[in-house]
Order: sequence, then structure tokens, then C-alpha cells
Amino acid sequence: MKRSKTMELGVGLFMLAGILGLLFLALRVSGLSLEPPGDEFRLEANFANVGGLKPRARVTMAGVTVGRVESIELDPEWYDARVVMSLDEGLEGALPEDSTAAILTSGLLGEQYVGLSIGGAPETLADGDRIRDTQSALVLEELIQQFVSNMVKE
Amino acid sequence: MTDSPLVEVEGLRFARGEAEIFRGLDMVVPRGKITAIMGPSGTGKTTLLKLIGGQLTPDAGRVWIAGEEVHALSRKALFRLRRRMGMLFQSGALFSDLDVFENVAFPLRVHTDLPESMIRDLVLMKLQAVGLRGARTLMPSELSGGMARRVALARAIALDPELILYDEPFVGQDPISMGVLVQLIRRLNEALGLTAVVVSHDIKETLSIADYVYVIADGRVMAQGTPQGLDVDRDPRVSQFIHGEPDGPVPFHYPAMDFYDDLLGTGGPR
Amino acid sequence: MIALLQRLGRMGCNVTEGLGQAAILLVQSAVGMPSAEGIRLWLRQMHFVGVMSLAIVLVSGLFIGMVLGLQGYTILVDFGAEDALGQMVALSLLRELAPVVAALLFAGRAGSALTAEIGLMKATEQLTSMEMIGVDPLRRVVAPRLWAGFVALPLLTIGFGVIGIWGGELVGVKWLGVFEGSYWGNMQASVDFVDDVLNGLIKSLVFALVATWIAVYQGYALVPTSEGIARATTRTVVYASLAVLGLDFVLTALMFGGLS
Repeated sequence: MKRSKTMELGVGLFMLAGILGLLFLALRVSGLSLEPPGDEFRLEANFANVGGLKPRARVTMAGVTVGRVESIELDPEWYDARVVMSLDEGLEGALPEDSTAAILTSGLLGEQYVGLSIGGAPETLADGDRIRDTQSALVLEELIQQFVSNMVKE
Repeated sequence: MTDSPLVEVEGLRFARGEAEIFRGLDMVVPRGKITAIMGPSGTGKTTLLKLIGGQLTPDAGRVWIAGEEVHALSRKALFRLRRRMGMLFQSGALFSDLDVFENVAFPLRVHTDLPESMIRDLVLMKLQAVGLRGARTLMPSELSGGMARRVALARAIALDPELILYDEPFVGQDPISMGVLVQLIRRLNEALGLTAVVVSHDIKETLSIADYVYVIADGRVMAQGTPQGLDVDRDPRVSQFIHGEPDGPVPFHYPAMDFYDDLLGTGGPR
Repeated sequence: MIALLQRLGRMGCNVTEGLGQAAILLVQSAVGMPSAEGIRLWLRQMHFVGVMSLAIVLVSGLFIGMVLGLQGYTILVDFGAEDALGQMVALSLLRELAPVVAALLFAGRAGSALTAEIGLMKATEQLTSMEMIGVDPLRRVVAPRLWAGFVALPLLTIGFGVIGIWGGELVGVKWLGVFEGSYWGNMQASVDFVDDVLNGLIKSLVFALVATWIAVYQGYALVPTSEGIARATTRTVVYASLAVLGLDFVLTALMFGGLS
């Protein structure tokens, strides 16, 4: 029976390794979060144009990832894009009210992400608040258009 | 009921592809006797055992075992019927991933709910009967051909079947293990009252244990009778087979054109 | 002309018959309640087809990940986009390479062994004698192997993916100097658990079913001679590999491609 015990152990380890591997793929590679949703710190921001920003893109502050984009949808009131971000809980009540959000691009071909810059107001943002000062994504065609029309004026 | 035959074969026809193997075979196997089926190689003796065991289905004809028509049974009923039969295969057919003990215990574990201690007793009893109780921890790959066949015999009788089918039990055995097998088959038949069907072309050994012999050729029963009766049978084909003469009604040469013409190349191409 | 047509017809009949037999085999062996004995047999086969294939799959995964890291870097660095290396390595592994290459290795390593093993059991009349004892070899021999293959290959695929991503990191980050944060960060931003990881696993499940099925059918249906076993083993590897590659295209088109 000893041989079958080691065999069982081998198979058990094999299956455990498979499950751990799947967890690794879920958490480390695809960046799923195990934390239950609900007790998160959510902020909204409206952008005139989100460019290529996608859900689950990074939200950074001074280059450090502090959260993810949860959803992007059209705001029917102003016809601009409402981006909902979920941030680290530790930041709740620490961000000044006049903080700004910008859609940035990492490198020339990299993916787009949201960068937060800290403001100076004494009031702070709470869960569900909206960042008012936003900067839209740079769209290459618009840049070129501006550049060309400036040249023509000169 | 006890003197009705255990196996009856009636008008059996079977073809494999183009080749007709049986064309109307009739046979009766009486209870408690050893019945031998003999014939030259390639006459489908093993096929006949498979037809009796229900592994192949005949094109026509019927096979009854203990009053049940084998090929009319459902898969489930067939498997139930097979519990009452044992079969010894040419190669032994031991399960290569189980040791000798587990091989013999296999039918018991599958078909009974006996406690482990009783299975152990039964297995040791059967192994004792074939003289291999000491070899119970060996794997099939460590056994000689004769030992493997004896283990297979112990496995075949593990469930105390009524009928046991031997497929070429003597092929490729040295004289000693041949003698052992002959003795075992006879003893099982006498002691347990088993009905046995022996398929073989080893004439001497088979005739020495059989109560009744069928000789098959060309898909039919060519001759039948007691060993003594067949020995003096005057049919040239029977006597050629029984006495092992190289040439006779069953020709030595495969059908061919005239040898002289063939050598001179006048008969045709090649 | 008529003879040619007849030959075509015979071929069609043979193929259809084979497929039908294989389908019957699959249904008869795979459907049914598992018993304690069945689980023990399954465990044994898991060891045989899973654990024993682990080494070759992991080593291949490591090398393929390292090659991806190297090739990806040399291409991406021209565009100054070497930060996207993690994304490239992870996506190509999870979507394509891990399921496909692991399945091909599995067909070669475990599939051929399954065919040869079942074929040998058939040639030595073990399957017939099992039937005569009153045990269905489909349930006792084929079913545990089928299920073991079905479970083992996805696990092997996960292992392949994980070690491949690590191999890519080893080359890209540790040797070529891609920033570690961007390797993982870009990966996490672009890999979606459902779209990429789970779809890869679904592919792998399909491949596992098909490859194991082909292997056990070839073993069960082969001509029981040594030549027959050799041929069936070759056929298992060829058919299983072709089936995996063909199905990969179909599944990719369904999952990722806009072929609808």
C-alpha cells in the first residue's frame, strides 16, 4: 500500500499546484482582486474624452498605482464620459477636494491610465465624490489638427 | 435438469469479412464432462469460444447456456451469466498492473461484498489448488508462461463457475507444466464437477482428458465421438488429424499450379 | 472513374463508422456514477498521465517563456515599447501557446502511452478476459483514463502558463533590464481573467477531451499485434495533434476573432 500512498501524495501535490497556478494567474497576471467589493473608496470623474482608457486600467498618483478604473460610461446629462475609480481605502479622506485627474499614456504605444495630482484645499474627498478638475486624453488627431492650424495662422 | 446439456450450439454461422468461418455448426456439451473441440489451426476454435462466451455475435444460429440464449440477452444479463463461466485464455491474460493475489481476488472483489479476510482465504485456497500459494506477491511479468496460466486458472475458478472454457491450454508449454495442466484440468473436473470445454490441437494431451471430442474442419463438425472411437475412425481426414500425418486429405501444399510448369515459367507470369 | 468513386464512398463509410464507434465508446465509458474503486483507478491514471507529464510540460513552458521574453524584447525595443513585454508574453502564453503546446506535448507523452497501454492489454487478451469475468473494460479501463486526461491537461496547461510567464520575466526583467513594475503592471492591465485565462482553460479542456478520446479509442480499436500497436500509437499522435491545431483555430475564432 506504500506505493499507492506516495502516488496519492503525488497526485494531490499536482492538483494543488494546478489550483495555486490558477490563483497566480488570477491575482498576479490578470490582477483580479480578492477583496470583496463594497468597502472600497470610490471616486468619480467626468472627462470630455477618455480616448483609449479601458475598465481595470491603473489609477496612479505620483507614478504609484493606487487603484483601478471600475467602469466607464456615458453621462447622459452632459454627454461626457463618467469614469468610476476604486482606490485604496487608506486614501479615503486624505485627498484634497481640488485634486485633479488626467488621462495619461505610458510611453508612445503603452496603455492609458488615470493619473491623480494632489491639490491644496482643506476639504477632502469622501466615498462617491466627484473630481471636478479633469484633463482629457490626448488624441493624436486633435493634436495634429491644432498644430496644423497654428502653422497656418502664422 | 441435471442431465440436460449445459451448452447447446445450433446451426451456428459466422463470417469474418469474406471468410466464412462456421457454416452450420451443431454441438452439445454435457454437464460435468470434459468436452474437447479439436481441429487444425485456423478453423476458428477460439472464435467458437468467443461465440459461446457472447463476445461475438453469430450471423445465424443459436447458443444456449444453462437454458439461456446467449445472444438474446441484454448486456446486463450477459454479464450476469458470465459470472457462472470461467475462461482460461491462451496467453493467461493476467492483469499486468495487479500482482498474483490481486489477479485472483479480482473477480471476488468485483462480484461479491465479502470481507477482506474471507477474500484472502478464498484466494489462498484457489492458489493452493494450482500450487502457487507461495507466488502470491509476484507480478505477472515475473511469472513463467506455465505459472501465468496456472494463476489464470486460479482466477477463472475464483467464483466457482459451472462452466469453464479452456482456450489452447497446452500451447507452448514444456512437458512438465503441460503435465501439471492436464492433471489440474482433470482434477478440477472430478473434484468440483465442473463442466469443461477444451479447445486444443494437442492431440495426445487432449484425448487423454476428454470425455467427448468434436473435430471441426471447414466450418462444420467433421467428426465426433469418444477418444477411443475417434482413434479407430476410418475417415481419412480424421485419421490424418488424429495421427498427425503430414500429407493426406488436408494437403501439405498450398494450392498452386503444377510445380514443373512453374519452374519452367510456362504457366504464366511469375 | 466508378472505381474511384467507390473508393471514395468506402473511405467515407469507414470514417463515419469509426467516428460512430468512437462516440459510442465515449458515451458508454464516460457516463455513469463514479464508485470508490473508480476514484482509486482515476487517481492512479492521474499519476500516470498527469504527474509523469509534469516535467516535460514545465521544462517546455520555461523555455518557451524565455524565448518569448527574448524575441519580444528585441522586437519591442525598436519601438521603445519594451514595457509592453509582460503583456505580450502573458497574452500569447495564456491565449495560445500554453493550451496548444501543452496539448501537443500531452498527446505525444501521455496519449501515445495510453494507446500503447490499452493496445497491449487488448493484445494480451486482458480486455477480453475482463469481459469474461463480467467487468466492462470500458468502465474499468477506458473511463478512468479518459477522466484523468480530462482533468490533468488543464492543470498542466496552468503550470505551463505560470512557468512561461516566469521564464519571460527571468529573461526580460532579470537579464535584459525591463522595469519589473511595468512588466507586471502592463500585464495586469491587459490580461482579463475571464477573456484570457478562462478562455485559455476552456480551450485546454476541449483539447484534453479530444486528445484523450483519440488516444483511448485508438488503443481500444487497434489491431492487436505489435505492428498494430505501433501504428495506432503513431496515429494517436498525428490525429490528436491535427485535431488540437484545427480546433484551436475554430475556438480562437469563436472566442477572440471577429469571424462572426
